[in-house]
Amino acid sequence: MKKIATLLAIILTISTLFAGCSKKEQQTSSSNSNSDVIKIGVFEPMTGANAAGGALEIEGIKLANELYPEVLGKKVELVLVDNKSDKVEAANAAARLTQKEKVTVILGSWGSSLSMAAGDIVRKAQIPAIGTSCTNPLVTKGNDYYFRVCFIDPFQGTVMANYAYSKLGAKKAAIVQEVSNDYAVGLAKFFTDSFKELTGDPNCIVAVSNYNTGDQDFSAQLTNIKSANPDVIFAPGNFTESALLIKQARQLGIKAPFIGGDTWETPEFVTIGKEAVEGATFSTFFTSEKPITKESEKFLEAFRKKYNHEPAAVAALGYDAYILALDAIKRAGTTDSVKVRDEIAKTKDFEGAAGKISLDENGDAVKNAVIKTVKEGKFTYLDTIEPKK
Amino acid sequence: MKRKKYNIIFSVILIILLFVILYFAKLYLDDYKSRILNLCAIYTILGLSLNLINGFTGLFSLGHAGFMAIGAYTTALLTMPIPIKEQNFFMAPLISPLDKIVWPFLPSLILGGILAAFVAFLIGAPVLRLKGDYLAIATLGFSEIIRVIFTNTQRLTNGALGLKGIPNTTNLFWSFGIAVITLIVMILLINSSYGRAFKAIREDEIAAENMGINLFKHKILAFTIGAFFAGIGGGLLGNLIGAIDPLMFRFFLTYNILLIIVLGGMGSITGTVISAFIITISMEALRFLDESINLGFFTIRGIPGLRMVVFSVLLMMVILFFRNGLMGNKEITLDILANKLSKKPLTKGGVKR
Repeated sequence: MKKIATLLAIILTISTLFAGCSKKEQQTSSSNSNSDVIKIGVFEPMTGANAAGGALEIEGIKLANELYPEVLGKKVELVLVDNKSDKVEAANAAARLTQKEKVTVILGSWGSSLSMAAGDIVRKAQIPAIGTSCTNPLVTKGNDYYFRVCFIDPFQGTVMANYAYSKLGAKKAAIVQEVSNDYAVGLAKFFTDSFKELTGDPNCIVAVSNYNTGDQDFSAQLTNIKSANPDVIFAPGNFTESALLIKQARQLGIKAPFIGGDTWETPEFVTIGKEAVEGATFSTFFTSEKPITKESEKFLEAFRKKYNHEPAAVAALGYDAYILALDAIKRAGTTDSVKVRDEIAKTKDFEGAAGKISLDENGDAVKNAVIKTVKEGKFTYLDTIEPKK
Repeated sequence: MKRKKYNIIFSVILIILLFVILYFAKLYLDDYKSRILNLCAIYTILGLSLNLINGFTGLFSLGHAGFMAIGAYTTALLTMPIPIKEQNFFMAPLISPLDKIVWPFLPSLILGGILAAFVAFLIGAPVLRLKGDYLAIATLGFSEIIRVIFTNTQRLTNGALGLKGIPNTTNLFWSFGIAVITLIVMILLINSSYGRAFKAIREDEIAAENMGINLFKHKILAFTIGAFFAGIGGGLLGNLIGAIDPLMFRFFLTYNILLIIVLGGMGSITGTVISAFIITISMEALRFLDESINLGFFTIRGIPGLRMVVFSVLLMMVILFFRNGLMGNKEITLDILANKLSKKPLTKGGVKR
């Protein structure tokens, strides 16, 4: 019995290894025989903690691929690899795309830390990557081959500080941040900087509290904030924790309005927070209520038809990353990745589904931010903020 | 005695052969393949170090991710060039001596290991008095504490933002070189009087104590040495990927290494090496399971995550059919190979320990 089991296990493991090899041979031969295919790599978390976000972006990328299946007279093939929401896997996946699949451009990923793990690999392989919703400034800093179609944390922090100061008339703000989340920490920092500048008061941030991902009880942080009595509370963080936080704040009798970042734009935020999150305001990339460009109309129509639900902001960003990559290949007139990279860097006033994109010298998109609020349990469009030129 | 001499000569030849192969591998393999090989070697180091604690000494520790984090952050902070440090710490500057120091790779790596070992020594003193499940929970808690501390020390570790642009010093020579050193140290340690004491503690603590073995001293020695190599493995991993953040060192990382030693055999050095290679390579080779498979007449839609299911099935099979992993606590040694080849009857004590 034991011998049979041993044999079985050995055969299984060996066969899986061989299966991998034979598949590889097939792929190389097929890519050699029809060179009329342009490969675009998509590198997203399809499993693990960030799988939900990755799935939304893939929706947008797949839709764009259906609408624009060809460039330079060649068919575009999407090569999807899973980065498992894990840095080691993300680096492997990026190496696989650049070395084995030999893609022209890479799209992705959801989550800045995963994109950062791929940064060195794409730079060394000289294959351009277009980030979808990685907002951490470090992703593109010092890397000529990483670009992105979303705005970065400093801009979003500034937008919310402006909103708090001019629209809400706030003079004193409190910050509750999800300290284990790079996105929340970055946003809080840039909000603090620009709010101090706007009010001219170095003591305008009256309280700063931290919580960890997965926390359920925020009474300690909220009591601290209540005693500081701020005009507005900036609480960037994950949607579940933020919704719970706002709910508990209202129970404690805190009346100050809550403002936050684009992570709040999920149905769960409203279903968990219910009436407590009424009036919560945040900045985001995109709105389906008010099409920003012609491309947005096309995107919205096709998206509703294909998936039968409203698109998330990140789906629009995935879509934008794809059409921007295609446009750059078209402008370059070749699939040579270095030339494509140069064309991506030159992008100016490109019409995407989520607004006009111009890339600055770091490779970051300079684009409009949309401000939304929760009204009667729905996300409602409030305002569009132009970037500072 | 003569046999021992031959063994040493033969091992040296094997190691030289390995490095010759590595030299050609470095010349001809692309970045993707050599990355996977690097990971194999790093997981071997990590697996061996965890196996020393869990498999040989019988202390069920789950704190490996914490030790790796210490090693990875130390190595990264010491090897990063100054301009990159300034770029990384744009939120709050790095605390003072560190922002001007740049060390070569080897000393940083060793310091990373020493720091991890030192922390293991400190927490080992209270924690190793616990047994079984309690020890597992305490060490798991410790590794979470390390992660939370690293998240909150903005000026030392850059908090949740993590570090980026760590020089990619790790290559095949570094990873395999250190893996070979780890392997040699482990073999020598396990076959020494200390190794026998570790195994005695694993089999029966009370009996071991009756034999005059100082339980506490040996436990803390195994724990500290294991943590030292975990720190070095973490440092190699950080400089291989080029970017680290605290979220990378969650419990899942410990779980990956635990998977390697459970599949390979708790208490088997060769088992750990074999399963580290099999698991790391098949994790990549099985990627085709995630993609859509075209069978000619119809296409199976790819399900992301299917390759992880293979590992779950593998783990279940191992638990059901081989309680002790692929190798149990047996080893493939040169003696056995030589005996197999010459078909001589096995010498007494030469095979099974």
